[in-house]
Amino acid sequence: MKQFGLFFRKEMLEMGRSYRWLWVPLVFLMLGVMQPIVTRFMPEILKAAGNMPKGMTIMMEMPSGAEVLAQTLGQYNAIGILILVLSLMTMISGERQSGVSQMIFSKPVSFVSYAAAKWMSMISLITASFGLGYAGAWYYTVQMIGPVDTAAAVKAALFYLLWMWFAGSLTLLFSSLMNPAAGIAFVSLGAALLLSLAYGMLPRYMAWSPGALPQISAKVLLQGSGGTGTMGALLITILFMIIFFVGAVYMTQRKRARF
Amino acid sequence: MTQPLLQVKGLTKRFKDRTVVRDVAFSIAEGSCAALLGPNGAGKTTTISMLAGLLQPTSGSIQLLDQSKPVTDRRMFIGYLPQMPVFYPWMTGREFLRYAAELAGLAGRDAVLKTDEWLENVGLQHAASRRIGGYSGGMKQRLGLAQALIHRPKLLILDEPVSALDPAGRKDVLNLLQRIRLETTVLFSTHVLHDAEEICDEILMIREGEIALQGKLDQIRREYSEPVIRIEVGGDPVSLKWMASISSKAFVRQAEITGNRARLTVTDVEKASFELMADAVSHQVAFRKFESGQSTLEDLFLKVVQA
Repeated sequence: MKQFGLFFRKEMLEMGRSYRWLWVPLVFLMLGVMQPIVTRFMPEILKAAGNMPKGMTIMMEMPSGAEVLAQTLGQYNAIGILILVLSLMTMISGERQSGVSQMIFSKPVSFVSYAAAKWMSMISLITASFGLGYAGAWYYTVQMIGPVDTAAAVKAALFYLLWMWFAGSLTLLFSSLMNPAAGIAFVSLGAALLLSLAYGMLPRYMAWSPGALPQISAKVLLQGSGGTGTMGALLITILFMIIFFVGAVYMTQRKRARF
Repeated sequence: MTQPLLQVKGLTKRFKDRTVVRDVAFSIAEGSCAALLGPNGAGKTTTISMLAGLLQPTSGSIQLLDQSKPVTDRRMFIGYLPQMPVFYPWMTGREFLRYAAELAGLAGRDAVLKTDEWLENVGLQHAASRRIGGYSGGMKQRLGLAQALIHRPKLLILDEPVSALDPAGRKDVLNLLQRIRLETTVLFSTHVLHDAEEICDEILMIREGEIALQGKLDQIRREYSEPVIRIEVGGDPVSLKWMASISSKAFVRQAEITGNRARLTVTDVEKASFELMADAVSHQVAFRKFESGQSTLEDLFLKVVQA
């Protein structure tokens, strides 16, 4: 337990000194704020573009607040996940690759504490970044578009947050499995994308898949409930995160250093 | 003082189809300093990584004894410095040392005190607040030594501690080791024989993953050293002709002659040197160098390695 605290403090310090605590939340904030603002000013933007044929009028119905917030989540699914994977991919492999791990693991350290600290800092970074971005999106949506049901917004955010945690866990697992950063990024992004695509194509068979979480969270916003598979998807995702964690502990212990 | 601290039996490591370390067995007595010698690629780093607990042996056992009883997690009692120590470049020297101390189990206040003590011991107190990214190779090596020793380990394991350093850095580290070995048992690997002779009292020579020779340094010297005469003469034809003829003398057991230099393994140094000198005077040979003595550890090393 004492070692967990040590490892965790070190991770936080590293994330601070490498400015990850600055740029990841900022990118998330930007992504979140952009959607409501762009939606609100779309008619003006089109008008200003000026290459519209004369006499043409566009009728645009302003979407509801809930719709805009759901679109914001769509933004996170593309760029947000990419940013997360890129900022987390070398968390375990980097130390093994550089050789610091040789010095760390020759000390009487616990591999569970080591991996748990990595997990905890991953979850902290994701929660803070997504929380900030989502809060920004919500605020601007309410200001510029229209009201959003508070309970639905919070519930949707929690579902989405779980999806991001899942993607982060996946990245850390691959980081413990292999060394090349590009490989880790490619496989983690690919797996997350595939899961979400598979749900889009076969919603009936993949209803309990973690890939369903982004859709569930959008449904919560638009229809007030996530549908029948919600509970299953929730449990399966948490189960997988636990499996990934155990796998990463085992792999860090097996591949203590690069030889 | 002579009870064993580390006992290794049948240590073997296979990587896929290659056996890098084969059936290595040795023990290190408490308070001694042992050098693991071998040419590059002999399996030194692999052996050391297994001792430090970074690599799982394919078979064999490694036991560290504390009060004659084997311990369960030997990492508590070991300080390890890898071949090329790498740190977090974004940490300062003091931060890393304190981190290492706390990982090794020192409590908060104790860790701070020990950190300052060791920064001073290795002469890094002035660079302590600088980021490690800006340290030189020698400074990193000294910081590495400090992190290995901060929890007062019973056994210090070093992998090629001085091979990558310039002469000044080498001397610093060797001086530190001289001091440390008075308090701690040391095992270090090297391919620089001179370093081994300077600080160690026990040697283990390994070749192609197997122990080729092991024992106390002075004992090995006594057992294996042979009387040797080294001669260098001038480049004139008379001297060179004389050089070519000396290998046929009765007291010469083995001769290596290259141009105007010769290295003779002889049966009796005194007799040989008298006869050689008398012979040289009568032939009017111009000596540049005449040295009689014992074969060095390096000669033995080359013999073992090339056998």
